Amino acid sequence: MPEPKVIIISSDDEKFPVDVKVAEKSILMKKMIEDLNPDGLEEDFEIPTPNVRSTVLAKVIEWCTHHKNTVFPDDDDEDARKSAPVDEWDKNFLKVDQEMLYEIILAANYLNIRPLMDSGCKIVAEMIRGKSPEELRRTFNIVNDFSPEEEAAIRRENEWAEDR
Amino acid sequence: MNLQNVCGPSGTVKDNSNRKSQYDSILAQSVSSQANGQSENENSDNQNLEVKDGNLVLLREENNDSGVANEKQKLHSSSSDKNSEVSVVTPFLAKYITDQSMIPKDNFYKYCYRHNPEITCNRRTDEDNSKDIQRQLEKLPVRDQEAINHVWSIFGAAPHSHRTLIVKGILAQCCFPQLSYISQEVSSLIRIDYISFLPVEIALKILCYLDCASLCNAAQVSKKWKSLADDDRVWHHMCEQHIDRKCPNCGWGLPLMHMKRVREGTTYSSCGNKRTSEAIEPTSSAGSEVEYEIKRVKLNQEEQAKQQMKLKKRPWKSVYCERFKLEKNWRKGTYSTKMFTGHTDGVTCLQFNHKYLMSGSYDGTIKVWKVDTQECLRTLVGHTKGIRALAFDSQKLITGGLDSTIKVWNYHTGQCIATYQGHSSAVVAVDFSKKTIVSGSADHTVKVWHVDSRTCYTLRGHTDWVNSVKIHAPSNTAFSASDDLTIRMWDLENNQCLRVFGGVENNGHIGQVQCVIPFAYKDTLVEDVIESEAKENQDGNVNTAANDGLNDGAEHDDDNSDSLPDNPDYPTHLLTSSLDNTIKVWNVKTGKCIRTQFGHIEGVWSISADTFRIISGADDRVIKVWDLQNGKCLHTFASNSNVSCVALSDSRFAAGLEDGSVKMYCFD
Repeated sequence: MPEPKVIIISSDDEKFPVDVKVAEKSILMKKMIEDLNPDGLEEDFEIPTPNVRSTVLAKVIEWCTHHKNTVFPDDDDEDARKSAPVDEWDKNFLKVDQEMLYEIILAANYLNIRPLMDSGCKIVAEMIRGKSPEELRRTFNIVNDFSPEEEAAIRRENEWAEDR
Repeated sequence: MNLQNVCGPSGTVKDNSNRKSQYDSILAQSVSSQANGQSENENSDNQNLEVKDGNLVLLREENNDSGVANEKQKLHSSSSDKNSEVSVVTPFLAKYITDQSMIPKDNFYKYCYRHNPEITCNRRTDEDNSKDIQRQLEKLPVRDQEAINHVWSIFGAAPHSHRTLIVKGILAQCCFPQLSYISQEVSSLIRIDYISFLPVEIALKILCYLDCASLCNAAQVSKKWKSLADDDRVWHHMCEQHIDRKCPNCGWGLPLMHMKRVREGTTYSSCGNKRTSEAIEPTSSAGSEVEYEIKRVKLNQEEQAKQQMKLKKRPWKSVYCERFKLEKNWRKGTYSTKMFTGHTDGVTCLQFNHKYLMSGSYDGTIKVWKVDTQECLRTLVGHTKGIRALAFDSQKLITGGLDSTIKVWNYHTGQCIATYQGHSSAVVAVDFSKKTIVSGSADHTVKVWHVDSRTCYTLRGHTDWVNSVKIHAPSNTAFSASDDLTIRMWDLENNQCLRVFGGVENNGHIGQVQCVIPFAYKDTLVEDVIESEAKENQDGNVNTAANDGLNDGAEHDDDNSDSLPDNPDYPTHLLTSSLDNTIKVWNVKTGKCIRTQFGHIEGVWSISADTFRIISGADDRVIKVWDLQNGKCLHTFASNSNVSCVALSDSRFAAGLEDGSVKMYCFD
């Protein structure tokens, strides 16, 4: 008999059958599988993810599949997690449009996939790093809602960090 | 024909004209705004009246066709046949807009979850784009305008799943130049304000990955960004990353500045050199500002209102900013100077804190200076020959002189409290901790004076002058540096020599050792790669001892550290300076010199250090600032006289010169 699968269902009702090992990359799904199947999986187990649409879910599952054997640094080791550069594969994997990246981060947050969250957030941080306020507004489509006076005052307030 | 024909009741004309502007383009609609969604819902009530059973049936049949055909048919019908247009467009709009209002909870039906009006993440309407659409539309004949408008109307009213289908159909008809246009447009249209629209905790997490310059730029983007980029949680994290440690990411470290906190409180505390050796010990600075403020934050969370009344809350950004400005000055070499002049002969020793600077001189006096005003508050007279060493804390000053005595002073009154005699030659080094004084002398000995029990022990081993002594209080050990080229480590518990640092095999000093500073370092210090050993290792032509040292460090360490018991309180490293022009870093555990810093071209008389920096003063008339972690020389300051002693604080250093003056460099 084939091993039972976890079937993840997207918001638009698409079904993704995956190995337990892959699904368990999500702490949320891991807990759910364990709690509802205390004796282990005997048959296919459906998990609906009403916040995640199918194209995003497909990406997230692709990530989980790639990393199913990866051992990530300990959650408690803040320093190691913070300073580690983004994994090269993740970097390419996350070369997507801003909407997709946004939804992947939200999905990783909802499904509790810490390393994917970390990579996603680091990628966004890289998009912010080293840009001037105006470049940031352009990059993220933001309206400058400061009055000229406010803007000048805030600029002075933050001058100290320039040109180090 | 105008929109009335589509929507029916004349009462809706006004609404319809609003609608027209809403249906500006498919692209603009594909991520429709919240306002759009709402007004569509309002309109739907009116259109409700127009629903006919037959039309609904017809529409459902058409939906079974492919999107492309559907689209074409609609276009065709709307431009040529009024009746057929009414039978397609009107009921389509009516049906879906009606359905929307009938099942208001199910927003996913019409919207993909992202442009659900309840989710605020929406693309800002691009004003320029709307104007451009308007201009281009107006150039066309009215009938064409209507036709195009119907396409948009249909798309605008369509539920999410239909929209995807319609777009698919349109894309399938596009040629490469059109697709290229779409791809170009799309990449600029999908721009999301992550920081504003992600949940706050995720936005803060992203900001925590940034450096301070990027954070300060982020704070200037918009009000929302400012509130997040200035958030205390972000800057608290920044402070944790940088204060009193070198950040592994950016290589910056910021001073603890706990002196400032102490100063602002009721008591003022110990002294420059003293504090130097303490500040470098992370464990000993128990009341550090960081810890203090962490406690404060916790308290604030617990009983916020109450505490805010008592403690003036200071944003972490300003804590960071203050230290950052100081560190920037250190890095750029931006400083002001203060001169202390009055001694009639060379200055041999000095120490300072925020309030006082004390200097000893060959002229036989000690001068107590007020740092702020540079005025000499007191001149202490008592030694019969030149002064060679001093150390002070908040109450007392201890000095050692060429007259072979050690004196204890109440510097507030100028009174000499006690004189210790015992050395048979000049006292050239003193240090103290609590009730223990340690002295080094030209008589080759180190003496340990226990003030309370009035006992004195003599530590013998050096074979020449002892130029420097330092107590390492946490492990109750003392370190001495001597003209015999070695440094010794002593256990003050049993007065035994624990280890001798020196010798060619350990890459020891080849000139008289003038100064020693023990310290504990948490992170990794950059070490020299020893060429000869590396080469030998490559050649495979090595003697066994060197081989052991290279390939099996642990084993070798055991051999060498027979005499050094394991004690977690021991300092991890020593800094020494010598008349061989070098500064060396030693590993206390292995007894080996791990780094030699070259740069001075004459003997280095004195060094001082904290968590980040080493200051050195030499006979070549220059003062150098070094990075403690990597050993690189950061600055070289020229002086107009030979430098005999230096002292360092978070924000300043002072150099005692042979011409009798003291120069202070202030980076704050």
